[in-house]
Amino acid sequence: MGNLTLALDSAWKILLAGLLLGAGLPAVFAVGIRSMAYGAGGDAEAHATGTPGPRPHPAGRIGAYACFAVVLLAVALGITFVVATGFGKELSFEHIYPTLTGKD
Amino acid sequence: MILTLVVITALGFDFTNGFHDTANAMATSIATGALRPKVAVLLSAVLNLIGAFLSIEVALTVTNAVVNIQNSDGAPRPELLADGGTALLVIVLTGVVGGILWNLLTWLLGLPSSSSHALFGGLIGATVAGLGWAGVNWTGDGSKLDGVLGKVVLPALMSPLIAGVVAAAGTWLIYRITVGVAARFTDNGFRWGQIGSASLVSLAHGTNDAQKTMGVITLALIAAGEWSDTEDIPLWVRVSCALAIALGTYLGGWRIIRTLGKGLVEIAPPQGFAAESAAATVILTSSHLGFALSTTQVATGSILGSGVGRPGATVRWAVAGRMVTAWLITLPAAGLTGALMWFGADLIGGVAGAAAVFVLMLAAAAVMYRLSRRSPVDHQNVNDEWQDAREPARAAG
Repeated sequence: MGNLTLALDSAWKILLAGLLLGAGLPAVFAVGIRSMAYGAGGDAEAHATGTPGPRPHPAGRIGAYACFAVVLLAVALGITFVVATGFGKELSFEHIYPTLTGKD
Repeated sequence: MILTLVVITALGFDFTNGFHDTANAMATSIATGALRPKVAVLLSAVLNLIGAFLSIEVALTVTNAVVNIQNSDGAPRPELLADGGTALLVIVLTGVVGGILWNLLTWLLGLPSSSSHALFGGLIGATVAGLGWAGVNWTGDGSKLDGVLGKVVLPALMSPLIAGVVAAAGTWLIYRITVGVAARFTDNGFRWGQIGSASLVSLAHGTNDAQKTMGVITLALIAAGEWSDTEDIPLWVRVSCALAIALGTYLGGWRIIRTLGKGLVEIAPPQGFAAESAAATVILTSSHLGFALSTTQVATGSILGSGVGRPGATVRWAVAGRMVTAWLITLPAAGLTGALMWFGADLIGGVAGAAAVFVLMLAAAAVMYRLSRRSPVDHQNVNDEWQDAREPARAAG
């Protein structure tokens, strides 16, 4: 294969991973923020001036923490990935949960 | 003697690499006020330092991507060692000088050009001058992404686009999702996200970029007969490279931070968060796939994308255009400088030639530093309102 084919081959994978993680995780984070605002109620949410604003919803907070946990987990995996690659290991998702394996 | 010059020059390049690239990770956090400027560069410097130590993989074959001065195991080509390694040392020295000079010039102009391209460009130029066109690995052998085309040109064309698309998608999603949430509430939340994603970019930068200098210095040591292990890098090289890149990062290339943070797009925290997340993901995925890309171009593409993805945001395409121009000419310009330096060193010959190149570099660096003092940019005015004053003048001229 030529360089161009190889480059395009990598490029679409990077784009896919990028959209999934690089745009998807921020979206999850945004859902968390939105949920947090729903949980906090009052001035955190847009409402007509002069009115007290929506009342707080405890469920919103729980949802928010769940979203943030997902993002944090992903970031932790990201760091593990950087460190592992540096030490000649690879992050493997063979067993669904991530494990570290030696590079072939 | 020449070896000492090569080591100092390579560390100097590492240092410019640091301050040239602070902006990639921290420009958006500084622009949105998520971190105070001094805190941002300190955080980035520390993470670069850690990153430089985290990666223990030997980066000795770094020059193999673009030039043929090493064997595939990292040892220098034997035919270049006939004269005690001087031929190879001069090529490396003049190549790195070419990279430094281009980095300093683009910094003076506040342009975020790629440090890797500057280094590769300088090495290519010096190699062409020293060994002829055949000394350069233009396309590889076709079995994997290799050579100037596969390791530099194609990734340079594709990576900013990919990063831009990802950042635009992320920004658009974030703004869609948070409609109806008070701006002050979202901004606070996204500032935290921004700090996290920017830290990831810094860490990844440290693991990638410090390696290149370590590889170059070790190559020079082997050429001079001071080191023989192609499986390992001397500890002092590792420590000094890590410190050089961290110090450079801490110094902060404020001129470039300003261009990226304020010049391209007026960045709000959600955009900054989307941009850095996109940059971090693209950099990490690419390095996993062996797709060699420039952190700078990815970061710039992401920031542009975050401007495109936010409804109603203004993107200063004139500034973006200047950047793209700088990217296009980085490789040839650094190459030309490297080649000229090699001819200069060759003309004078031997140690004197190498010393002359070194002195010339110091002089040029001093001149550019003096010029930069005419319109200083530092942590105090880095976030000032962006003036387009220079743009019309350029367009008219």
